[in-house]
Amino acid sequence: MSREPMDLLQGTLDVLILRALAWGTMHGYAVSRWIHERTDGTIAIEDAPLYKALHRLEKAECVLAEWGLSENNRRARYYRLTPLGRKQLRVEEANWRRYAAAVFRVLEPA
Amino acid sequence: MIRRFFYPRRTRRDIQTDVDEELRFHLDSRQQDLVARGETSSDARLQAMREFGDIDDARGYLRNIDNEIESLRRRKDYMDELRQDLGFAFRSLRSTPGFTLVALLSLALGIGANTAIFSVVHSVLQRPLPFPNPEQLVQVWSSTTAGDRSHVSASALDVDDWRAQKKRFTDIGGYWFAEGASGADLTGRGEAQRVSVAAVTPGFFPTLGVAPMIGRLPAESEMVRGGDDKVVLLSHAYWTRAFGGDRAIVGQSLILGGEAYRVLGVLPAHFTYPSANVEIYLPFSTIPDGSIPRIRPVRVLNVVARMAPGVTIEQAATEMTLITRGLAERYPDSNASYANAELQSLAEVITGPVRAPLLGLLAAVAFVLAMACMNIASLLLARAAARKREVAVRVSLGATRSRIIRQLVTESLALATVGGMLGLAVAHICTKVLVATSADRLPRSQEIHTDGVVLAYAFGASLLAGLLFGVVPAIRASAVNLADTIRAGSNSVVGDGQRLRSVLVVTQIAFAVVLAVGATLSTRSFAKLLQVDPGFKPERLVAVALTMSTARHGNDGAYLNYYQQLIERVRATPGVVSAAAAQYAPFRGMGERNGFLLPGQSLANGEEMPNAPAQRISDDWFRTIGTRLVEGREFAATDRKGSPLVVVVNKAFAKQYFKEQSAIGQSLKLGGSVDATIVGVVADIRQSAIADEPTPLMYISNYQNLRVRVTLVARTQGEPLLLARTLQNAIREIDRDQTITEVFTFDEILNEAVARPKFLTVLFGTFGTLGLLLGAVGIYGVLSFIVSQRRREIGLRIALGANAGAVQRLVMQRGLLLAIAGVAVGISSALMLSRYIEGMLYGIASTDAMTYVSVAAGLILIATLASLIPAWRASRVDPLVALQPE
Repeated sequence: MSREPMDLLQGTLDVLILRALAWGTMHGYAVSRWIHERTDGTIAIEDAPLYKALHRLEKAECVLAEWGLSENNRRARYYRLTPLGRKQLRVEEANWRRYAAAVFRVLEPA
Repeated sequence: MIRRFFYPRRTRRDIQTDVDEELRFHLDSRQQDLVARGETSSDARLQAMREFGDIDDARGYLRNIDNEIESLRRRKDYMDELRQDLGFAFRSLRSTPGFTLVALLSLALGIGANTAIFSVVHSVLQRPLPFPNPEQLVQVWSSTTAGDRSHVSASALDVDDWRAQKKRFTDIGGYWFAEGASGADLTGRGEAQRVSVAAVTPGFFPTLGVAPMIGRLPAESEMVRGGDDKVVLLSHAYWTRAFGGDRAIVGQSLILGGEAYRVLGVLPAHFTYPSANVEIYLPFSTIPDGSIPRIRPVRVLNVVARMAPGVTIEQAATEMTLITRGLAERYPDSNASYANAELQSLAEVITGPVRAPLLGLLAAVAFVLAMACMNIASLLLARAAARKREVAVRVSLGATRSRIIRQLVTESLALATVGGMLGLAVAHICTKVLVATSADRLPRSQEIHTDGVVLAYAFGASLLAGLLFGVVPAIRASAVNLADTIRAGSNSVVGDGQRLRSVLVVTQIAFAVVLAVGATLSTRSFAKLLQVDPGFKPERLVAVALTMSTARHGNDGAYLNYYQQLIERVRATPGVVSAAAAQYAPFRGMGERNGFLLPGQSLANGEEMPNAPAQRISDDWFRTIGTRLVEGREFAATDRKGSPLVVVVNKAFAKQYFKEQSAIGQSLKLGGSVDATIVGVVADIRQSAIADEPTPLMYISNYQNLRVRVTLVARTQGEPLLLARTLQNAIREIDRDQTITEVFTFDEILNEAVARPKFLTVLFGTFGTLGLLLGAVGIYGVLSFIVSQRRREIGLRIALGANAGAVQRLVMQRGLLLAIAGVAVGISSALMLSRYIEGMLYGIASTDAMTYVSVAAGLILIATLASLIPAWRASRVDPLVALQPE
């Protein structure tokens, strides 16, 4: 699938991050690699917006941040999902599925 | 549930560092991964940075968000702590109901009284007058060039000229209103009534800028002679009282003095100028020349003016003086002596006289609140000593000292706030009482009400009080030595809070001394005022004031006939011992000033005749009201029309104009030309105000020179008011339509004359007493505390053989020492503050030695009494109990 990476649709970055963190507590770099791998490079995600989104989610109390030690013993900032974040993920996920299904219905050949 | 117990506070610098470290970690990690894939170190770095995007933008954004997160967290924690503190506070206060009740009561009374007095001060002194642009309003008087007479009224013609020549004024208006004297007879609506009238010139309403609530103001043409000037405006109070607030009265006519006046409108409720007693406003032009001649020498109008925007009072005064000087030159006969003009801001005129007493009251009541706070602080210090364990436990659990202080201060503030809210209720009642009792003695008393400023003051006072009594005990309480406290038997900390409480008590006593001095001076001044000999004997004297109607009695002969009939009828009434008549009762009016020439006196150029108020009275006036005849005789039946003109003068007159000689037989030229012989000299009667020195007065027989204003006075055998109705009926039997202006007893008017000083004395006296009480409570509290703290020491002394007397002496000495220190500070402070109340005192100096000495002695006595119980308790300490380990 080698086309030009598509631009990220509005608001999807948050749900991707929450999904990543549902997998487990990660630092920012790990989240970035996880999303990149899972979308197979289809979607172009710059890291700057990613970190902005992470901190926004922290302010919204969907994720909690703590300093810890990385695999190679370096100090890194780890992010964890909060119960509120888990709920938010479920809501966003449902919205996305509804949205995508609606678009598919429109695009489906008659 | 995420619970963070302790997290470190992050400064902006911390956040900066963290953000940088996070970003660096990301770039380093990416660089590492790329190097592992075979890229060179520097290429990897560049690619990592390229992949990241705008890193500086991100850095700034992350910092901002993190700072916001930190602020939110801090605020949330603060709120949590506050809620915790308040919960603590209420539990703690509930567990010591005695202390809490006493504190709340003191605060409610203290803050309530302060708020009430402040609302009076604010409404009367601070709020601008209820007119548009009130700072432009001034009162204008004439004054003599010699400077010996000031605040002189103006004549109607002068006011017209001032109005015509004004440049720096928007408008000028005059009014004539004399309580009980300017009135009109209203007939045709049930019983004939006397209504109180203010007669105003065309510029009056435009100057003040008042708009009527219903109807309209008179046009210029409706306020001049010859115009359609039979119009009136009703005051709001009168309209409500007499016409039940019926709007239909506007447009109808009222019969005043036998003529029909159209009602043009009703004025708004807040308009009470020049007095709340004015019932009707009508044009000055309707006053017939027979009552008030429209000539320049007759000066009856008070003048109010509005300065043009931007004009200062000095500029306005300069212009006014120019105008009056011009008039003095043009009309030298009448105006030469009154060539100057004086201006004073209207607000100052109305509120100036009460400024000092009101501010004095505010200071006094603030003192009382301060004393209450000191009492509460003292109690809190005692409480702090008792709560040492609790504080020690909290410290050992990790609470910082500042946190504990914050909690204790919150407790004090909570106490103060609740006390303040209760205080508002107290203030509400106090204000109502104040307004009700001071209606006549305070200007603008109808405007007193609570507004935002007053509420803010109450709130501020509560906060200040809370901080005042809360902070120091809180700091004290948090200074806990853990080891000592938790260990058993730690009650032997001597001097724990004792010195502080002693300082508090000394301060309280000083305050109490100041308050007591103020109250005593005020009371003694009032007592001296009551001792003033008014010049007559007021008991069992009843008076009926009326004005003989010009319409019905026409000529002099008819008047005199009527006058005679009235007096004889009253004399004949059963229960009346003696009766007579004058124009005005004492304290009700002076009578018009008449000029005269002394024997052999001739006037130099431009010099004015001496003059004095001259009352027209009947025979037997002085005998009836009990005034001593010093020399000569009173008026008698021989002094009638056609007989030689005679006058009686008072002692002040005789002393001023005849010095050591006898005034009897001397001849005056009244008005410069009419010969009159002095036949009697009477004692001085206080005719204007009780505190004023007697001035020269003349008396003329009403039979020889008629005036229609009459006050019939009768000395009765029994209760004077019981005869009032009978007398009124007797008068009406002679003339059915005679309107009565007023009925009163001389006891009443004497009481009224001292009403304001009485009012102030009562208030100061109350505060003084409160202060003494609080001081006594303070001493008692400290000494009790000392006794309980030094229990072991006292027990030891007793065990070692000290007798009860020695122990008692110990405690009382302490109390006496505190009292003496407090009195010393208090007396010197009172002396320093004494000059501020100098103006309010009558007959006594503000540094009167006897007052200060008696207050000092009194307080020392009170201190001694307050120490008796603690001293007695100390002597009863059982050494066995006291010396046991805790």
